[in-house]
Amino acid sequence: MQPTLSFEQAPPISVPYRFFLTAPLFGVTAGLLLTWLGPAALASRWTPGAAALTHLIAAGLMLQTMCGALLQFVAVAAGANIWRPRLVAAVVHPLITAGALLLAMGFALGLPFLFRLAAALLAAPIGLFVGVLALALIKTPARGMTLHSLRLAVFGLLVTLTLGVTLAGTLGWPGDWPLSLPFLTLVNVHVAWGLGGWALLLVIGVSYLVVPMFQLTPAYPVWLTRLLPAGLFLALLAWSLQLGREMPPHWLAAVALAGMLLAGLYAVTTLRLQSRRRRHVSDATLVFWRGAMVLLLILSLSWLLFAALPRLDGQPRAPLWLGILALPGVFVSVINGMLYKIVPFLNWLHLQRQGDPRQPPPNMKQMIPERAMRGQMFLHFAAVALLLAALPWPSLARPAGLAFAASCLWLEWNLVGAVRQYARLLRDRIGAAGSGRGS
Amino acid sequence: MPEPREIDGRNLLPPEPLELTLAALETLAPGEELVVLLYCQPAPLYSVLDQNGYRHRSELRPDGTNEIRISKV
Repeated sequence: MQPTLSFEQAPPISVPYRFFLTAPLFGVTAGLLLTWLGPAALASRWTPGAAALTHLIAAGLMLQTMCGALLQFVAVAAGANIWRPRLVAAVVHPLITAGALLLAMGFALGLPFLFRLAAALLAAPIGLFVGVLALALIKTPARGMTLHSLRLAVFGLLVTLTLGVTLAGTLGWPGDWPLSLPFLTLVNVHVAWGLGGWALLLVIGVSYLVVPMFQLTPAYPVWLTRLLPAGLFLALLAWSLQLGREMPPHWLAAVALAGMLLAGLYAVTTLRLQSRRRRHVSDATLVFWRGAMVLLLILSLSWLLFAALPRLDGQPRAPLWLGILALPGVFVSVINGMLYKIVPFLNWLHLQRQGDPRQPPPNMKQMIPERAMRGQMFLHFAAVALLLAALPWPSLARPAGLAFAASCLWLEWNLVGAVRQYARLLRDRIGAAGSGRGS
Repeated sequence: MPEPREIDGRNLLPPEPLELTLAALETLAPGEELVVLLYCQPAPLYSVLDQNGYRHRSELRPDGTNEIRISKV
């Protein structure tokens, strides 16, 4: 399978950029919320603060970038035609922004009507997004395991949304909600589909294409590109059986173990490919990816350790350890790294098409200064380390929140700088083309 | 027949191979052939070639290299 890029179907630059510029602001909000709430928020996964922080990152920062990137990526990489991308972005972006904010507020303040409102605001646009994406991914003539993983990831988003709306209904109509599934079971299946189905399958599918292309590594082994999406999907289906009937604990433990082993295998393979890259040039994107894969490996190993040592597994902070590794650790790191590749590339792509074609092409390296990306990257990983350290040493919770807010603010600053650079270069190119015609 | 010009884009970061190829097309003489070596199928390059009157055919080498031969129609 060879990766294919097709720029002709690329939607207007404003479509992905509105999502990309909103996403880090959710990270800033999450960091400030943790700073405000302090160590109490990280006492267990069930504190209102922990739930609000989780959803600011997952339904805010992550969902925003993943939606924006998919609208772009599916058109460019899979050659799939997105139905009216401008309209879809105009509907989806404001609604998921408001929905994620209300959802986090619902958790933080414990107000049922906010859950009802958030569920409605998120269900409609994500439903539209899933429908449009599914149609494009089904109709495209392109083939390959990237496309296969993307299809499963979009299905994963649909399942996550459905379970999330059911949970929001339980919280929004306490006592009156007709669905009587056990709350804990619903949460566990919702989390598994959100992180293992939607987010991880998307990262895996995208990595098949972008890791060899942008990091100049050998391709992923074909057997692995088939095993990972199918294996993870089957594990998620098996994990979901607990929604229908009570499953024995050893069955659930075995399914979770299989999923974690697959995730660990993916991390190790990516790290090995990156160590065999053909040109040993290192940029912020590569280090973000490597950091994310190391954290994914630590996540898998931690899960194994917790499974082997029930004394650790019973600790209320053990799930938070896994959650911090997964959300700010693995996914925000990958997103950060990808934004530093996607945004300069989109600037270049759209500038290339503007103005006089005889002008020299713009330089991708002038879009975001490498020093600024590296500085922000160090701050991000320091924030992740502080967040993890805040579990055994709760007094670090506030510094960790501040560091995370600062790293997300710096990311926003770097992205805004790239957009301003785009506007400046666009003016120059159009101006030069005009004066060239006039002379 | 002159030796075809060759661009080895296999160890270059995107969009450098595309930039080099577009620059080389500017000076491609009728009857001359340009060979581009890549590890991927560059659909953006193909669409530029199709829209601007260039003929291209690609062949996959056993090591995974995609050898693209370009000439003017």
